[in-house]
Amino acid sequence: MSQQAQKQESIQDTTIVDTDVHLSVPAKEVAKYTDEPYRSHMANTGYAPLPSSGWDRNLAGKIEHYTVQSPEDVQQRLCEEFQIDHPILNATSKLPRLPQSDLAVNLMSAYNDLLIDQYLDEYDHFYGLASLATQKPDKAAEELDRLGDEDQIVGAYIATTGPNPPLGDPEYDILYQAAQDNDIHIAYHGSGGAFMFEFPRQNQSFEKFIEVHTMAHTWSQMMTLSSLLVHGVPEKFPDLNFTFLEAGIGWIPMMMFRLNKEYSIRRSEAPLLEKSPEEYIREFYFASQPIGEANDPKHMKQLIDIVGVDSLTFASDYPHWDFDHPDALEQYLSTFNEEGRQKIMYKNAADAFALDL
Amino acid sequence: MTDHIVAPADELEEGGRIITELNGREICVFNIDGEYYAYNNWCAHQAGPICEGNITGTTEASFDPESLEVSLDYCREGEILNCPWHGWEYEVKSGKCLSRQKVQLPSYAVRVEGEDIIVTL
Ligand code: FES
Repeated sequence: MSQQAQKQESIQDTTIVDTDVHLSVPAKEVAKYTDEPYRSHMANTGYAPLPSSGWDRNLAGKIEHYTVQSPEDVQQRLCEEFQIDHPILNATSKLPRLPQSDLAVNLMSAYNDLLIDQYLDEYDHFYGLASLATQKPDKAAEELDRLGDEDQIVGAYIATTGPNPPLGDPEYDILYQAAQDNDIHIAYHGSGGAFMFEFPRQNQSFEKFIEVHTMAHTWSQMMTLSSLLVHGVPEKFPDLNFTFLEAGIGWIPMMMFRLNKEYSIRRSEAPLLEKSPEEYIREFYFASQPIGEANDPKHMKQLIDIVGVDSLTFASDYPHWDFDHPDALEQYLSTFNEEGRQKIMYKNAADAFALDL
Repeated sequence: MTDHIVAPADELEEGGRIITELNGREICVFNIDGEYYAYNNWCAHQAGPICEGNITGTTEASFDPESLEVSLDYCREGEILNCPWHGWEYEVKSGKCLSRQKVQLPSYAVRVEGEDIIVTL
């Protein structure tokens, strides 16, 4: 056992659910699960078949490029090394940004089949999120109906950087209805790689990835959260849970309090809402990663306190370059009682995705 | 304080490193330009395996208030140890972290005696 694994005595007895684990699926691998002509498209495109922003995530080799390409990678590196009991896996962030919607729809089923076939069928303690293509909400709804009986598919992964219109639009009601009918809860996830589609100035004006990456996820999640509330999505689909991944938690108080203020003045623009924005936001779930690094740790504790012990879930974001080890969150939980720590490390995630733990 | 033999000196070439377990701790000895440096394999950020990272240079900048020019300089090749997990940069010779002034990798005395590299814990 490595030194890293040995030292985590405090978390060894705690069950941990990791709400954001990424697979690194090679194009040729997912191609096996597609139909023609998409299979040949994936095999024959001279350039990378799925668009990428081209930023250097690994700082010219300073950061190791880790990948997850087999269920054993998840089992050994996360479950064994990081003491994660239940990783919730997602297979791709790229679908909603693809200009070709028929390709996106075919890839949607392909990624989901791969996730089930290669990962969830291998380990009973793994869970998965079905990736959705948002270009055709009726097709996403069909996909959720198709996957409704898969016990280990516990949520729908919707990339929030890319979908147009924003995700509260009534165009997506058919998707949310299918998710609610199938007891598949929603997980939203922003992305630095797609931010150039959302916000073209990033590639025209920013010179460094640090600028793009600091803003991309939170910006996309803020847009999504505003859109959901203004269109009354939580009122329309009261049995759905919503979890926001990979934007940390610093943006949440700002959105709660700012939306409260806006709503008090402009209630007539969000007429489906029946209570304050803050109350809805407190019913959503938020993943910890990337955990903020305040110079004074007390400020992180205060932030966690504001977001609330009933809303926070742990996420590692492994294997991406800004992943968090569980200790990165645990160090701030000492002031909570055992019940509070358990909620944050696994019970909230179990509620958010109706896990049978 | 106890001396531990890590390896024969001729097994650690310039630019090389040896990671070994001493007293239940993973310790790494680097040979940089013929000098030896020993650290815990434990990053101050999130306890990643710092000593397994690449050794590179880094980018520094200076601002000239006269001309208002910023000059970038990729420098210190071979002197910067980067954590493989999230890229925190440390000076391999001092253990000082470049982005956090107060952070420093704990180091150990290391010397060559006879044929052997010896670390004192
Ligand atoms: S653990 Fe070393 S940089 Fe994060």
